[in-house]
Amino acid sequence: MSTQESRKERIDRGIKVRSDGLYALMSWRELSYLTLPRFILIAGMLSLPFLVPGMYWQRVISIVCIYAILALSFDFMAHYVGLVSLGGAFFIGTGGYIAGILNSYFSVPPFLTVPLAAIIGGVVCTLLLLPCLPLKGVYFAIVTLMYPLFMARIIEAFNIFGGTDGLVGIDSFSSSFAEQYLVICMVLIFLFGLRRFVTTDRGLIFTAIMDNDQAVRASGINITKYKALAVFIASAMGCLAGACLTHIYMWSGISQFALDFSILPIAATVIGGSGTLVGPILGCLILVPVSELLRDFGTLRIVFYASILVGFILFRSDGIMEFGQRKYEQFERWTKI
Amino acid sequence: MLEAQDLMVFYENMIALNNISIKCDENQIVGIFGANSAGKSTLMYALSGIMLDIRKKELMAGGERITLRGKVIFQDQDIMDLKPSLRAKAGIILCPERRRLFKESSVLENLRIGGYLATKAQAKYTLDYVMNVFPALQKLRTRLGGFLSGGEQQMVAIGRALMAQPKVLLLDEPLLGLSPLIQAHLIKATKVIQKETGISVIISEQYARPVFPIVDYAYILENGAAVMEGTRDELMDNPDVKSAYFGIS
Repeated sequence: MSTQESRKERIDRGIKVRSDGLYALMSWRELSYLTLPRFILIAGMLSLPFLVPGMYWQRVISIVCIYAILALSFDFMAHYVGLVSLGGAFFIGTGGYIAGILNSYFSVPPFLTVPLAAIIGGVVCTLLLLPCLPLKGVYFAIVTLMYPLFMARIIEAFNIFGGTDGLVGIDSFSSSFAEQYLVICMVLIFLFGLRRFVTTDRGLIFTAIMDNDQAVRASGINITKYKALAVFIASAMGCLAGACLTHIYMWSGISQFALDFSILPIAATVIGGSGTLVGPILGCLILVPVSELLRDFGTLRIVFYASILVGFILFRSDGIMEFGQRKYEQFERWTKI
Repeated sequence: MLEAQDLMVFYENMIALNNISIKCDENQIVGIFGANSAGKSTLMYALSGIMLDIRKKELMAGGERITLRGKVIFQDQDIMDLKPSLRAKAGIILCPERRRLFKESSVLENLRIGGYLATKAQAKYTLDYVMNVFPALQKLRTRLGGFLSGGEQQMVAIGRALMAQPKVLLLDEPLLGLSPLIQAHLIKATKVIQKETGISVIISEQYARPVFPIVDYAYILENGAAVMEGTRDELMDNPDVKSAYFGIS
């Protein structure tokens, strides 16, 4: 430290600097430098159903994508609006039940229940969360954590919507390929849509609300309205995922309000890199299969899981995505002081 | 007593302190003057060791990489790798920028937390002393730190630093955002404290005029480098210093 004569410095790669500017359009090399990571993600996601063997793992892909949508919505809420929501289970359950009710009571076909569940579920969740919007930080988190428990107990106590058995005999998607591509495309659409959205004027207001809500209010902006909009976007995404889940399992029940749906997306966000939007998806791509592999260990898998999480928080709290991005955009070298 | 030799601090690729050597002898008030981003706070952090903490935090979060180089010498020992808590124990106490009071604790509690390193007798003695130097605090004993005015907060902050029994007191921008009247009061109090307790004080400030009368020696920082140094009288006569730091042309 005090004796060291040189230090490591980080410098942007030439190609990164060049492709930041107009030069990006002038050579294939720069163009591919910019598009390659995105292309690999898109192509990789789209080819997943062909790459994995067997029905079981194809089902896992769908589950990965459902968690990925949830993680995206968590990341958006937590790191672009500043509302830490533990309501993944609430969104999944609401969306799942709405899709189930529409399908089994009114026999609406799946390709309609999914968007309907997203919109109706988004509205329902937003209305229910509206009184909690002035809350911040841990208070909002606690309230959103309570809602799924609350909903599950109501359904159980009043024995509505099939009670503890849940709604059975719900239509599935027409084929497993349709099912997988639906969720994969949804992940990609939401990912790139949100990435766009957070840089628009509205997105900037969201970020500003996270930084300093008083200053935003002083600028004459109604922050409750914007928070409600953000909750609607996030909960609609979650409800859509829930509707897909219902049709995949052909069943909707109170286990859709299980805490797994709230916790795993957060873990995936931490591992993937919070605030990057892509990170949570990578996190899900790693965590969900790992959790499937660990299924043989029974409840012990939670231990593995927790150790992975603690390790990441302690030693790589910036997440995979930030780390990878830095390696991709910058190089390091020793220089003399 | 406290000395920095060829101190360099890099935030990633940006150089925040460039080869700075400063020296504070016993029983001396040393002033560090410079505009925003000149490196005053960085220097204070490097002297008090907080920089090691920041470096560790950044390292764990994978953020900026901070490089430190040079020597910090306190009582003839190189303390560059000494943790901030141990430096405080040795007697280098930082009174941080923007006060950083414990907002949920009362004035008395704030002072008592500051006295963690002191013995019971020392703490009792210093508490009385602080109340003597800042009589305004007498009435505010039970008021919460967050409800004090800026000037009162700064008094508590200085008092809290004194409670830790400093040998060298580092005051980082103690006059930030205060009215000229309170500034003058605080500066006078600082001088009194220094004279009566015999500690050394390093005081950093943007605007030199209110502080200048009490310093024995001063350094002027610009862009992380010490561009000028000298005793009070030497600097006072320098036309560049006059125009840049006193507002006299």
